[in-house]
Amino acid sequence: MWRRFWTLVAGAARGPRSPRSCTRQGSGAPVPGSGATVFALSSGQGRCGIAVIRTSGPASGHALRSLTAPQDLPPARSACLRLLSHPRSGEPLDRALVLWFPGPQSFTGEDCAEFHVHGGPAVVSGVLQALETEAQRRQALRQLDGELGHLCRAWAKTLTKALAHVEAYIDFSEDDNLEEGVLERVDSQVRELELALSAHLRDARRGQRLRSGAHVVVAGPPNAGKSSLVNLLSRKPVSIVSPEPGTTRDVLETPVDLAGFPALLSDTAGLREGVGPVEQEGVRRARERLEQADLILAVLDASDLASPSSCNFLDTIVTPAGAGNPKENSQRLLLVLNKSDLLPRGGPDPSPNLPPHLLLSCLTGEGLDGLLEALRKELAEVCGDPSTGPLLTRARHQHHLQGCLDALGHYKQTKDLALAAEALRLARGHLGRITGGGGTDEILDIIFRDFCVGK
Amino acid sequence: MFSLRGCGLCVASSLTKNHLSLARFIGDSAAPLATNFDVVVIGGGHAGTEAAAAAARCGSRTLLLTHRVDTIGQMSCNPSFGGIGKGHLMREVDALDGLCSRICDQSGVHYRVLNRRKGPAVWGLRAQIDRKLYKQNMQKEILNTPLLAVQEGAVEDLILTDPEPEHAGKCRVSGVVLADGSTVHAESVVLTTGTFLRGVIVIGLETHPAGRLGDQPSIGLAQTLEKLGFVVGRLKTGTPPRIAKESVNFSILNKQTPDNPSIPFSFINETVWIKPEDQLPCYLTHTNPRVDEIVLENLHLNSHVKETTRGPRYCPSIESKVLRFPNRLHQVWLEPEGMDSDLIYPQGLSVTLPAELQEKMITCIKGLEKAKIIQPDKSSSVFTYFVSFILWSGYGVQYDYLDPRQITPSLETHLVQRLFLAGQINGTTGYEEAAAQGVIAGINASLRVKRKPPFVVSRTEGYIGVLIDDLTTLGTNEPYRMFTSRAEFRLSLRPDNADSRLTFRGYKEVGCVSQRRYERASWMKSSLEEGISVLKSIEFSSSKWKKLIPAASISIGKSLPLRALDVLKYEEVDMKLLAKAVPEPLKKYIKCRELAERLKIEATYESVLLHQQQEIKEVQQDEALQLPKDLDYLTLRDVSLSYEVREKLHFSRPETIGAASRIPGVTPAAIINLLRFVKTTQQRQMAMNELPKIDQSLCDTDRLEERQL
Repeated sequence: MWRRFWTLVAGAARGPRSPRSCTRQGSGAPVPGSGATVFALSSGQGRCGIAVIRTSGPASGHALRSLTAPQDLPPARSACLRLLSHPRSGEPLDRALVLWFPGPQSFTGEDCAEFHVHGGPAVVSGVLQALETEAQRRQALRQLDGELGHLCRAWAKTLTKALAHVEAYIDFSEDDNLEEGVLERVDSQVRELELALSAHLRDARRGQRLRSGAHVVVAGPPNAGKSSLVNLLSRKPVSIVSPEPGTTRDVLETPVDLAGFPALLSDTAGLREGVGPVEQEGVRRARERLEQADLILAVLDASDLASPSSCNFLDTIVTPAGAGNPKENSQRLLLVLNKSDLLPRGGPDPSPNLPPHLLLSCLTGEGLDGLLEALRKELAEVCGDPSTGPLLTRARHQHHLQGCLDALGHYKQTKDLALAAEALRLARGHLGRITGGGGTDEILDIIFRDFCVGK
Repeated sequence: MFSLRGCGLCVASSLTKNHLSLARFIGDSAAPLATNFDVVVIGGGHAGTEAAAAAARCGSRTLLLTHRVDTIGQMSCNPSFGGIGKGHLMREVDALDGLCSRICDQSGVHYRVLNRRKGPAVWGLRAQIDRKLYKQNMQKEILNTPLLAVQEGAVEDLILTDPEPEHAGKCRVSGVVLADGSTVHAESVVLTTGTFLRGVIVIGLETHPAGRLGDQPSIGLAQTLEKLGFVVGRLKTGTPPRIAKESVNFSILNKQTPDNPSIPFSFINETVWIKPEDQLPCYLTHTNPRVDEIVLENLHLNSHVKETTRGPRYCPSIESKVLRFPNRLHQVWLEPEGMDSDLIYPQGLSVTLPAELQEKMITCIKGLEKAKIIQPDKSSSVFTYFVSFILWSGYGVQYDYLDPRQITPSLETHLVQRLFLAGQINGTTGYEEAAAQGVIAGINASLRVKRKPPFVVSRTEGYIGVLIDDLTTLGTNEPYRMFTSRAEFRLSLRPDNADSRLTFRGYKEVGCVSQRRYERASWMKSSLEEGISVLKSIEFSSSKWKKLIPAASISIGKSLPLRALDVLKYEEVDMKLLAKAVPEPLKKYIKCRELAERLKIEATYESVLLHQQQEIKEVQQDEALQLPKDLDYLTLRDVSLSYEVREKLHFSRPETIGAASRIPGVTPAAIINLLRFVKTTQQRQMAMNELPKIDQSLCDTDRLEERQL
């Protein structure tokens, strides 16, 4: 599956591709102008043991050689261990298995290469970036249309103008008559841009979750029925359930479709102190997982709310998260009171002092619809609704927007105008990797258009 | 128009009035001396003087050919040197032991560093200069430079011979023909003719063929260059009228005083020649709506503004300011022309209206109500009436320039071997831009004679590199002026560190730098390195620093210890404060003002420069990939390139992959293909080098030819 689809040699994408030309290029140097080369992460997105990156097209051999330099191409169709390094900086990226499939005996009929790299995001993006050439960047620019492209270009325009005005202030304010308030206007433009970028990047992380799945962690005191809930939501027996507290001692994960959203559901050990070393380790892992969670499903035994473990859980996990009323940076949490079947029918709410919560019986399935509806709402917040607003689909867009935002942060901190301008230049450079432009001549054009300078 | 011969005679007579040492001056009346030189420089302006002196410093027997010796070092436009970006260029010229910075330190009347509050990377060293003193001091310097001779004469033609087979180019220059028919032979020729190529002066609707300030234009030379196939463009520039000092009412204007102490332009000077209290002030006034009216009412009398000759995007004249930014007040700086000069230069009032309207316009400006435009005494001049007249009214100049994409980064032309171009002829404006090119052209003209590799300053190394790279790869269609925003590595290319960037290269690779300067730069370099490592080694907790330097805004919360270098980064901390807090071992670093200031600057930019270093390395890697000089892009078979790209590469002839990638319209795909081509060529060359015998014999043949010449 080509999740990312970038063209390696932009200028080459013109002519129709023929399998014949691929044959000719099978072992020799790639001849540009005869077909596009694409590459992509072909294993799943996100953290994994091994990630596979595939390239297909006439430049595959060249790409493989340049990443594994100084070694030559490996023998066809046999796995070899190679040190991958960045072709320009020489910086080592990973030690990886590489495979070389000269066309036409390959899965696309073209020259193909595979890189089996260690699956951490850093390694994967490092290799992908190394494969990315300037030409490709231009190609990506052309593909950058629609709402995201529109947004990026608008930001680039604002930033270029801000930079040009700072530059005008540096180069001309002592000799010529610039109007008042040039720098103040730039300051407020930069602040607005920062807000817009950070809002967008929050959306971007939601886009990431939409592809990789949101992390939903089920937590609670021992024997609250967490594993039963996991089994209920995944519609299969993932976890062993027993009335014995402490049955689950490790973190168990299962990918599920929750109310239409992909999610990674984790069952964790019940949180309690003073138990055996194995369970203790389970508790430690559970807490760790809780910190990484996009959404916590906090489960309590509705019939056992007064017990010390329930109270402790409420104090340490539920209250800090501000359940039902999440603040900007706090974790999202849904409080579920399980075992509602044990409560007296039609009785009063067992816990009027608790934060907003849902009643559920894993045993009877009562309350499940309500829970799913609540989950859908929460996950729509976490993942973003794919039908509204542009999502950053490319990691590199996100990377450069983040770089832009970081650079803008440096703008505010400095009084040295040369340093401030450098921060804006750096920020503009990051946007330039997405939109292009921002060169000296563009800056000078704006300066001479907006100000009466020169002698 | 004058006869060229006649002018030479006039000048000879006027020269006797000058108190100059003329030891090496070859006048018209003098017996013909040597007619063989290593380097001949044509033109005695800011590019020509630097080129001639640089070639001589490199050890070449050099001749400076100029219309008139008494105009050498003439500041024909504004009475100031330096500024933002331009001051950077001057520091770099100085780092290569060029002249203008040292002469300015002897001739200024008002020294002021611009942008003081905007960060040391963009400080602009600037000074008002006494025109007379500058000219005197420059002439003294030129006429006393060893190996440098000066001769008056107008160059009418170039002597061209067969090209050297090992270099690209259709012919080779081997000397010049003067207007009187005599010839001078030269191994290299540097052309710095400024606005002389088909120069036309415009005032109102009148046009007069002329070069700068009453000199005659070079028409023969222009024709020769055109015949050779040089692509020629046309530019225009202008200058304001001069105002009688006693007619200005300064008392109602804003006064600007010079810096105290004055910061010298040259690295080898501790101070300038004049005390701050003896320097002259400048004054500021503004235009008003009445000025706009006069300009707009009289556009029909103003052919310079209407004509199609390309003017710059910026606003050089009051007409362009009024037309493009109406209803605003524009600044006019009233600048002194010299210590004992009666003239004021109104910076910002460059104008080409008919003379009587110029006065009408000026007298409606505050402080200039009674201003008189100076008309010089006609009898005092050897010039005809109109030439003297245009000396002081505002006027426009239109002139030819050669598209600078026709020269290499060493400023040699692609078409004619050993012919170098520098200054306004390449489409630049400004004394400093001219001087910067002059030094590089002079050095390379000399290196070429010695068959040494060219001296090229990269854009990662200096504003000189930015200037020349912009010109040779992008060309220009407006007078090119330096701005700091053109330099992408601005934080590294600072006025304070030009010596560390260029002096050592100049000394070791070229020999254009004096021993004294080299030793001074070496001392500074080692002191800076030592100082920085000492500052890095001193570490205290933030609370201790806060106690030592209460003025510093150090936040105490940080748990990690702070280095003295980090403390020096705070805006309010300087070396003096730091040395007071930690006298041992820091007090020795505040003995030299320049050293203390440079340590502070290094600290300010330390963390950012670390990041920039990586970018610089990437650019340098691209620049290390040389493109073969004799490549015929139009017919090259092994590389897939579009015809458009081929034409662009053919015209600009970039020397490196880096330069090629900066040419607009050369696509990334084309760059990748070129890169591949270069790599295979390099491999082939390496294989060739394994045949040392053939190589050696080729070298021997070269040497033999050299001796025969």
